[in-house]
Amino acid sequence: MSTAPPAVVPKPLLVVDNLQMHFPIYKGALLRREVARVRAVDGVSFEVMPGETLGLVGESGCGKSTTGRALLQLHRPTAGTVTFDGTELTALKTDKALFPFRRHMQMIFQDPYACLNPRMTVGDIIAEPLVTHRLCATKAEKQGRVQELMVKCGLNPQYVRRYPHEFSGGQRQRIGIARALATNPRFIVCDEPISALDVSIQAQIMNLLQDLQKDMGLTYLFIAHDLAAVRHISDRIAVMYLGKIVEIADFASLYADPRHPYTQALISAVPIPDPDVESTRNRVVLEGDVPSPINPPTGCRFHTRCPARQQHPEIADRCVREDPALRGDAHRVACHLYDIREPVAAPA
Amino acid sequence: MSDDILLSVEDLQVHFKTDGGIVRAVDGVSFQLRRGETLGIVGESGSGKSVTCNAIMRLIPTPPGRIAGGRVMFEGRDLLKVSQKQLLALRGNEISMIFQDPMSSLNPFLKVSRQLTEVLELHQKMSGTRARKVALDMLEMVGIPDPSRRFDQYPHQFSGGMRQRVMIAMALLCKPKLLIADEPTTALDVTIQAQILELIRDLKEKVGTSVILVTHDLGVVAGMAREILVMYAGKVAEYAAARPLFKTPAHPYTDGLLKSVPRVDETEHTRLQSIRGLPPIVTKLPPGCPFRPRCDYATDVCGETYPERRGFGAAHYAHCHNPLQREGDQPPAAAHAAEEAVE
Repeated sequence: MSTAPPAVVPKPLLVVDNLQMHFPIYKGALLRREVARVRAVDGVSFEVMPGETLGLVGESGCGKSTTGRALLQLHRPTAGTVTFDGTELTALKTDKALFPFRRHMQMIFQDPYACLNPRMTVGDIIAEPLVTHRLCATKAEKQGRVQELMVKCGLNPQYVRRYPHEFSGGQRQRIGIARALATNPRFIVCDEPISALDVSIQAQIMNLLQDLQKDMGLTYLFIAHDLAAVRHISDRIAVMYLGKIVEIADFASLYADPRHPYTQALISAVPIPDPDVESTRNRVVLEGDVPSPINPPTGCRFHTRCPARQQHPEIADRCVREDPALRGDAHRVACHLYDIREPVAAPA
Repeated sequence: MSDDILLSVEDLQVHFKTDGGIVRAVDGVSFQLRRGETLGIVGESGSGKSVTCNAIMRLIPTPPGRIAGGRVMFEGRDLLKVSQKQLLALRGNEISMIFQDPMSSLNPFLKVSRQLTEVLELHQKMSGTRARKVALDMLEMVGIPDPSRRFDQYPHQFSGGMRQRVMIAMALLCKPKLLIADEPTTALDVTIQAQILELIRDLKEKVGTSVILVTHDLGVVAGMAREILVMYAGKVAEYAAARPLFKTPAHPYTDGLLKSVPRVDETEHTRLQSIRGLPPIVTKLPPGCPFRPRCDYATDVCGETYPERRGFGAAHYAHCHNPLQREGDQPPAAAHAAEEAVE
């Protein structure tokens, strides 16, 4: 990136500060009381710049989808703030107050079979946001806009009267994308948009998302568990583990120099379609499963599975007691290994 | 047939009767698996890779399905012809299978211990106490922490990765000669996937089992399989050892698949070369080569006749009229290839 002389600091489109999303667990029918909380998202902060794609990766249950939904206020966050283009969305208490912002923030869902109403035609599905937000004055204008969106997303506009079941998975995902684009949004949360699709179709959808971004200046939050796909599409990437961001960096620097032991294990676990590379790779195979977010481990949440902690007894105790903060400038990591004046040798 | 070959599938045909007509889910698939080797079967949904495996185990629901032709030779016996009794003696004993979704393959009403010992009592005629001991050892071998406590739990008390370990333990109890793993890691997270693949690799060494690994993930087969079968629309598109398949693919479909997947080790943002068009609809396959509507190399002949098998060196062949490699680039040196030519 070149820096222009009159330092115009670009303002982030979206600022997330200490976002928390807890889901209470109740017990008892008559005397309902909260017995525990699922800490799905537990203090997440990041910024998204206009026109960029921020990738959010992690394994199932790490809170990545919940984060995406909480950003759009589909779940009302337990604590923390979400600021979109200068407006604090978390301060808007009613749906009515939020309504004008909804058209600027849209979502593409994972399951192209579940996210489309089977009783509506494709045309009606794509037109629904236009009707809701009163964006078209006449019927002809609406039809024209639907046609335009279908063409843009690679759908044959003659199929406007067909129903979702008549389409394949990849085409349905295109319908979902066309619907998300209908209101000319600025920010789109893509929640695992390709994981339900066949390999040969995944590339088509990723290319479409990239083309649309270039065309319309869109900003994406791209949520996925597929590290290769996230790397391919994202400018910056945040890695989540048990409701927290453990590392956030530029895509190249994250993959070339992963610092958090979890990120290292995650990247090394992704198989590479090349038998020569596969036969020479050093894999970090993590032991055990992800602990429950109802009762997360103390201190650093990764300490129960962390291979680096076993190699560095000098921090082992600290990892159990103290939750590491996200530190660093461009490449930020939350790990005690990197929080010492004299940096200890990076874990092998 | 040499003793080296454990399983030989010849011209397998599986048809399903549907409202839209007869679907040839598997249409003329042939391959061989040598002892101690891993064969990867790669394909997208509907390519017939799972149906091929189910047909080997004779697990095709009839009707609507029907194994319409071919032979499945396992140690000199045609599995498609053996009696039901012999088949039951083979399944779970000499040939085992693990599935994508471990929850639906385990009985939720039975303790894990019961489900494991049952296999041993049935096939190995072990006593209850002896079976318990063997099963517990196996549970430990597949890396279940605290196996003696976990042994008497129910499947729902296990996580997804642990359930898959239980499935693998169950499949390997009788030290089968062949393990068919149908998308064993698709439902799992990457770090758990790495654990399970490591486990399969490890146990293959220890038990000496041959493995058929079905997956849609090219990365998984690259690290696991010595030979790979690429399927498209119920047919074999290409068959080769891992290295030539990834380095010099002959079929445009294989080439397209390889180019369309992003790699975690790529160094810059490039545009993916996607395969255009949509996956085939198995009830409405075009005449000729099923890949023709999506193929960049298609010529007139592709729409007329289905391409014959062409060889590209030792044990590397593809069904394509316009292959990306020159035919017979290398002399078919291995006896393996010569044998295929005879058949």
